[in-house]
Amino acid sequence: MKEVPAKVEHNNTWVVVKLGIAEDRIVIPAPVNKEILYKTVVDVAEKKNILIVTAKTDTETAVKILSVDKVLAILKKLILGSCNAYRLMAYFMSPAIRGGVMIKDAQWEKGSVVVVHSGIWFVGQAKQVCVPVTEVAAIELTKREVQGKPTDVVRIDHLESGEVVSSMVLCPLSTLQVLYNFLKETTKSMDMKGTELDGVDQQVAMLIYSGMDSHAIENMLNIPHKQLDAIYDKILKLGLAEVVTIRREVQLTTKGVRYISDATKSQTN
Amino acid sequence: MGKILIVDDTLFMRTLLKNILFSGGHTIAGEAGDGEEAVAKYKELKPDLVTMDVVMPKMNGIEALKGIKAIDPNARVVMCTAVGQEQMVKLAIKSGAKGYIVKPFQAPKVLEEVKNVLAS
Repeated sequence: MKEVPAKVEHNNTWVVVKLGIAEDRIVIPAPVNKEILYKTVVDVAEKKNILIVTAKTDTETAVKILSVDKVLAILKKLILGSCNAYRLMAYFMSPAIRGGVMIKDAQWEKGSVVVVHSGIWFVGQAKQVCVPVTEVAAIELTKREVQGKPTDVVRIDHLESGEVVSSMVLCPLSTLQVLYNFLKETTKSMDMKGTELDGVDQQVAMLIYSGMDSHAIENMLNIPHKQLDAIYDKILKLGLAEVVTIRREVQLTTKGVRYISDATKSQTN
Repeated sequence: MGKILIVDDTLFMRTLLKNILFSGGHTIAGEAGDGEEAVAKYKELKPDLVTMDVVMPKMNGIEALKGIKAIDPNARVVMCTAVGQEQMVKLAIKSGAKGYIVKPFQAPKVLEEVKNVLAS
């Protein structure tokens, strides 16, 4: 068993421990005194350099481990390789497309796709990438050219710092279908009928996606502010967007007009 | 910053691209709604870069790209493909496209790609 320095959250404070990493478990010494068998782990999530490992035996317990990238990478590989999750060997490319622009040096990596409660992990030799389930924007069985042949792949789109990022998974079609169905089921709460928005509403949503602000949307679609507000209400109600800024439109008072008039005079004199 | 010709059969996409490119400081040389018009406008306007939709009436984007390349082998063309048409990318690259974006796209990424292609 290897021992590595790490911090573990214990009673709402971070304690420094020598974390034991074995082939089948993590050993957290005093004052935490906990052993986590990888096969009991039902969820693995990562926030910056904190790994949140949830294990289920009689009850479910989550442990937060803070350490350097190298240690977390070893932990992730070991846990994701043996945890209680849907797992399949596959080739993956993550990220393949970012904000609609294909990543030029993106390559297929051999590894596994592991689906846990909170996310989809792509685990390769060099990296482990997680797509949180709550950030999954689309899942599609599609075709992509691989070694000159159109090949079936699953495309997973997710949001990352406001950007839409696409990842691809490649494996035999029957397995892809199972993965696709499984991911669809996992993200079912976000499914919509597709008839909730009319043509103009959809155009507004597309423009928001492209990064246009309210003023640009009004001008592009030639719609009044009130109509755009009503569409925003609809989109917000459906949970398709969130308010990030409320801007104000103002007009000058008499005092303001006088101030500007005087300022202009002093500039021209 | 460059002088750009926007080619797309939908007014909505042309307007969107126009806004994005304009916000990035580029000049819009012109617009075309199909491949034939794109080739004619390229000859007339000599833009620094063309954003080219793939699926269009009359002449598709790949054919228009070939037409433009026949006029100017150094033409900079960025292809705009829809989701699911990524296999067209290879064909477009073979035909001389310098870059590609996938619809729907996000403004900063489009500007980044255009900047890279203009610098190439």
